[in-house]
Amino acid sequence: MITLTDFLIVSAALFCVGLYMIVSKQNAIQILIGIELMLNAAILNLVAFGKYDRLNNGGQIFALFAIVLAAATTAVALAIILNVYKQYKTIDPGKIDKLRD
Amino acid sequence: MDNFLQAIDSLTIKFTLTAVLLPLLAFIINLSLPGKQNKASGLISTVAILISCVLSVFVFSKVWNGHQVHERILWFIIGDTRLYAGILLNNLSVLMLLLVSLIALPVHIYSTAYMRGDGHYNRYFAYLSLFCFSMLALVVADNLVLLYVFWELVGFSSYLLIGFWFTRDKAVQANKKAFIMNRIGDIGLLTAIIILFTQFHTFDIPALFGGNTPLAVPVIKNGIWLAPAGSLPVMWQYVACGGIFLAVAAKSAQFPLHTWLPDAMEGPTSVSALIHAATMVAAGVFLLGRVYPMFSGAELTILAIIGCFTAFMAATIALTQNDLKRILAYSTISQLGYMIMAMGVGAYSSSLFHLVTHAFFKCLLFLVAGIVIHQMAHVRDDNRLSIDPQNILNMGGLRKKMPLTFMAALIGGVALVGMPLTSGYLSKDGILIRAFEWSEGKSGWYMLIPVLAVLTTWLTAFYVTRLIVKVFCGELQVLKINPAMKLHIKDGGWQYLLPLALLSAGSLFPFYAANPVTYERSWLITGFLAAGGNVSEGIYHVAVPAVVNILSILVIYGAWVIYTRQKALPFSQTGILWRLSANEWYFDSIYKKYIIKPVLVLGRAAFWLDRKVIDEFINGLAKGVMALSKLAAWTDRHIVDGFLNVLVLAVQATGNFARRFQAGKVQYYLYSMLVIILALFILKTLV
Amino acid sequence: MSLAQLLFYIMAFIAIASALFVASTANLVRSIFMFFVTLFALAGLYVLALADFVAITQIVIYVGGILVLILFAFMLSGKETLNAIGQQPGRFISIKTLPAFLLAGLFLIVLVNMILKADADNLAWVKKAAVTKNMILPGSAMTENIGINLMTKYLLPFEAISVLLMVALIGAAHLSRKGEKQ
Repeated sequence: MITLTDFLIVSAALFCVGLYMIVSKQNAIQILIGIELMLNAAILNLVAFGKYDRLNNGGQIFALFAIVLAAATTAVALAIILNVYKQYKTIDPGKIDKLRD
Repeated sequence: MDNFLQAIDSLTIKFTLTAVLLPLLAFIINLSLPGKQNKASGLISTVAILISCVLSVFVFSKVWNGHQVHERILWFIIGDTRLYAGILLNNLSVLMLLLVSLIALPVHIYSTAYMRGDGHYNRYFAYLSLFCFSMLALVVADNLVLLYVFWELVGFSSYLLIGFWFTRDKAVQANKKAFIMNRIGDIGLLTAIIILFTQFHTFDIPALFGGNTPLAVPVIKNGIWLAPAGSLPVMWQYVACGGIFLAVAAKSAQFPLHTWLPDAMEGPTSVSALIHAATMVAAGVFLLGRVYPMFSGAELTILAIIGCFTAFMAATIALTQNDLKRILAYSTISQLGYMIMAMGVGAYSSSLFHLVTHAFFKCLLFLVAGIVIHQMAHVRDDNRLSIDPQNILNMGGLRKKMPLTFMAALIGGVALVGMPLTSGYLSKDGILIRAFEWSEGKSGWYMLIPVLAVLTTWLTAFYVTRLIVKVFCGELQVLKINPAMKLHIKDGGWQYLLPLALLSAGSLFPFYAANPVTYERSWLITGFLAAGGNVSEGIYHVAVPAVVNILSILVIYGAWVIYTRQKALPFSQTGILWRLSANEWYFDSIYKKYIIKPVLVLGRAAFWLDRKVIDEFINGLAKGVMALSKLAAWTDRHIVDGFLNVLVLAVQATGNFARRFQAGKVQYYLYSMLVIILALFILKTLV
Repeated sequence: MSLAQLLFYIMAFIAIASALFVASTANLVRSIFMFFVTLFALAGLYVLALADFVAITQIVIYVGGILVLILFAFMLSGKETLNAIGQQPGRFISIKTLPAFLLAGLFLIVLVNMILKADADNLAWVKKAAVTKNMILPGSAMTENIGINLMTKYLLPFEAISVLLMVALIGAAHLSRKGEKQ
């Protein structure tokens, strides 16, 4: 029997990997992938809990919505990244620091 | 009556002060005169000494055989000790006062002509006046401290005058030698003064040595020297007397400190006449006259031995010398030896009598020598020769050219030998007679002293005759070089002849005693009877003068024969005795080898020590300090600054780290946000 | 251990391993391709969680849409961009990434701690769901359920999302147009 706890642990692991990528990568696209990873971890969580709600099926519906929204997010994010590259000629988030104090 | 006496006394004091201070005034004026050859300086000095002379005559007439005049004022106080400065006028003082000014006057007149044309005329007279002042002050000083001050000042003036021509190396060496030897004597005198003060607590001369109960007469019991104020071990009395011996030996050129006097002849001849024949060298005898009561019998015997030995030795050396002034210098040493010996055998008054007469005839002989040397120097300059004008072997036959000078020389020479009708006869025979009386009744060895003294008289006769004959009789030796040379030798002007006349008068008997043959009734002798000269009648009074003088006449005749006939000299020129005499008994070389060389070695060693050891030590200290400073610099640079640098680096690192969170890097912002959330979560789960 | 559990562990392992690879590599292309694998593995996990429709949707949209979008955006950006973006310096475990490591590690620990403490299997409503037949069973047909729910209960979010998608489309298109010549 696959317990709920196993799913939750896998999801937590994936989430932390995504968190690591966000904080430490020097490439905007890899940060985007990290964000995707975190989203996927959250979706896995939703789906795992959704098993116990057949009538409302909130888990799976929410998962679908989340996937779609992730797509929209990625598109816009890529457009932004492209613009940033055009402007600064680099996509290293460490080098884009014009908004500093 | 008392007021009158007091008035006379104060007048006497005033005259004495004036007489003493006038030469000092002349000294100061001469130094401040413009130019170096100002004739006025000679005039000023001569006038000053003339006035001093007149005043001295007055003072002498008032005080001689009268009562003693002693005035003093408080000079300064140290603790409990009061030091006075004052004037003491007793027979000894006024006699010396008169003598010094009377001898200085002819010398001053002579110097005005002798030093004419010298480049430093002013300075000469200034120094001469300084000397006169010091000598006059020395003889009237009333306490030992003042005496010491003027004793030193006299030595200093002598130094200045010996080295007058300071561009000549020999003169500089001579005055250095004179000063150093005098210094040794000064140490002795100072030691004696200090010991006397420690024992008697007073410096006053009348209290110590005068009156009927002189304090200083030694009272010795069981090896302790007793005194009213305390007592000391008896050794100190010997040391005090030894100090006086040393002072007398240095100043009056006695053995062993006599070698400076022949070298002091480098000074001008008039200076030699005044200082080194008549007055300064007599200061030693004067000192003995002052402190006479402090000697015990054994010490007086030692004095006699030293004096006799010196007289004999100097006479033997004078036999073979060829320099005119050197012969006279050794003659002076010899006669001073007589005076010291006289003090030693108890002929106090005869000693002082001889001092006076010797001053006159020695000064006369020196002035004559000066004239002769001057003329020989003219001969040399006129004919461009290179002879030594002072060498008697170059002279001869001068009596025809300088008759008056010859007469003066003859009088002086005869007085020096001590022939009857001269003053020298009176004084010298007094000494010899007393010497014989003293040695009578003592063991055989004591007989040696009068015998040697008599021998010395005959030697004196010989060398004096040699001197006169070589200089004035025979043919002029320098003509042998070139028979056709020009000579312009003649007697000098009045400035030369007047002093000679004055001094010749003083060398003959009428000044001193009515009777030319016996001395006991001379006013000089009777003036000093109370002070310790005893004059008694006896066989010696007839026998001694007769024998001595007859043999002296024989010696004179013999010398005259030898030196005028010009035959082969009877004495070998290479024998040991001749060489001993000609080399001045090798004293100079002995001193040089055994005293001067070790002192120089010591000086060099001290210099080496100073340079190598002390300077090295200081350099080592300096190096140590420098090393220490380098260490401190290193510490400062590396440790202190290093600590600061570490702090700085830490702050920098922290700053650099913290800066990142405000650098506009989005990942850092995210990171800090997440860290806080995590912290919240952890707190929530733990708490 | 039943087959389902074994499959679950394999899928989970693949997912996590490929996710770690994605995180560790510096090469962008490699990380994108390994992300493929992660997404497929996740789809497998969805199937094992009895959410087959979601799994298919994941593959179609995520893998086929988003990942391809990323790849194209990256590849069509020009040569310098490729070179600039392609190779990034840095190692996986280095002093620069240590803070991130720590952060992620700590987060993991905290999350796992919370999960274990929460004990999700024994929640009241979870237990009740098993009893009141609210649980999705392996044989049930969920697609019909999703369709009905989407059109009735979740119609508003559905429409809203379509509007949002349109907005995102316009926005992305506008953002990535070529700028005027200066």
